[in-house]
Amino acid sequence: MSGQIPSPSSPAAPAVVVSNLRRAYGSRVVIDHLNLRIERGEFVALLGESGCGKTTLLRALAGLDSIQGGRITAPRRPAVVFQEHRLLPWDSLWRNVSLGLQASDARERAAAALAEVGLGDRLDDWPRNLSGGQAQRVALARALVQQPELLLLDEPFAALDALTRIRMHELVRELVVNHRPGVLLVTHDVDEAIVLADRILVMRDGAIAFEHRKAGDAKPIERSALLAELGVLVSQAAA
Amino acid sequence: MSNIDQTLAAARFEQGQPPASPLAAPLGKRSLLLISWLAPVAIVILWELLARAGWISPQVLPAPSKVVATAIKLTTTDSLLTDLGVSLLRAASGFAIGAGVGFTLGTLVGFSRLAEAAIDRSVQMIRAIPFLAVLPLVIVWLGVGEAEKIFLVALGVTFPIYINTTLGIRQIDPKLIELGRVQGLGRLDLIRRVILPGALPSILTGVRYALATAWLALVVAETIGAQSGIGFLAMDAREFLRTDVIVLTIVIYALIGVAADTIARWLERRLLAWHPNYGGAR
Repeated sequence: MSGQIPSPSSPAAPAVVVSNLRRAYGSRVVIDHLNLRIERGEFVALLGESGCGKTTLLRALAGLDSIQGGRITAPRRPAVVFQEHRLLPWDSLWRNVSLGLQASDARERAAAALAEVGLGDRLDDWPRNLSGGQAQRVALARALVQQPELLLLDEPFAALDALTRIRMHELVRELVVNHRPGVLLVTHDVDEAIVLADRILVMRDGAIAFEHRKAGDAKPIERSALLAELGVLVSQAAA
Repeated sequence: MSNIDQTLAAARFEQGQPPASPLAAPLGKRSLLLISWLAPVAIVILWELLARAGWISPQVLPAPSKVVATAIKLTTTDSLLTDLGVSLLRAASGFAIGAGVGFTLGTLVGFSRLAEAAIDRSVQMIRAIPFLAVLPLVIVWLGVGEAEKIFLVALGVTFPIYINTTLGIRQIDPKLIELGRVQGLGRLDLIRRVILPGALPSILTGVRYALATAWLALVVAETIGAQSGIGFLAMDAREFLRTDVIVLTIVIYALIGVAADTIARWLERRLLAWHPNYGGAR
């Protein structure tokens, strides 16, 4: 993509294409002929009941799990933010953010990334001095400093309190608009998916069972409809 | 650091809460600290007085002042410093060899299940032997020269370093290793940035144990057939019933032990500044 300006008629290469993916643990098939395509700049949320294989899918995309069939095509190694911040306690924040960065200006780039998540004045601080939300922001900076074309978020806000989570939603939305990676957010939180995603997928029996695309200014999908897809029936009044 | 210092440090750590013991309650921390130092000083003074009054024979235990005088005399006119240097060199080279072997084996076993299968059981079997018990065998192999002494020190150092290195590597959070892979670290970078720093607290604990055993090994090795060193000084003095020199060598052994422990603590504070249990301050 050297200098080429992507135009609507010839869109940039997708962030990831998954075709016919299959993964089984012993005789138990977790992912069964799954197809998925995420464009750059597209925010996809993946919902599903516990054990439906959504985390397995994310781990396969991250290259942490082997696959037994099908193909995953991604231009570059994706960046991952996990549910836990996974900061190295023995490294300062900037060293944590620049982990794996092969560049002579690693510190400057880490500083810029930390500034983007509002921690630009904490470069030399230790992870143990951070709150949960701050630590997760550093984890976001560490993912974005790699300039990924695909960003994998594995329930990154699940352990945060409600207010911090709302602030993190704002931050993530802003960062994705600025950096335009393709995003796959694995979450349990239906509202989070509605707020953040351009496209919402529900996974069932190892494949994508439901898909909803946000279209311009159209009314967002009903929460109850999405919950019904997840096997949770609520009355209209409660929703 | 004495036990009382540690107790006081712990008391300070707990936000200045008064100690729970009702006996200590009426006394402040400062007076407790003072008493903790006054007690040993009082013992030394008592010892001095008893020795001067002739209640303790100089053959049994010379007065502290006599020991100090002997120390000064041996330093200026004799070879005390040379002997001290010889002892330190033996301890240092034995420590370096033992730590090198222990760390290398520990790293191999920590990383590779194959290496564990091949090495660990044998090492654990050898470890079951009290290492001082092999001294006669070592003397048959190596005689009573420098090699024997360094070997014995190295033997004592190898096991604590080995065990703690293996343990440290095994205890690393697999989630952090996974993160390293996600960030694209190669094998060497993964070891350098994630695994060794994570294992360091445990390795340094091993170093502190090893310093203690190194010292013990040196004392025993130097007591047998040494021609120089602190232990030689002590055995030579025994022949002439010079208890003042013997007491002096005991004091020197103690001081060096304290110095080694202080260095180990300093290393922990410096290298583990990130660790809430060591770096502490925030």
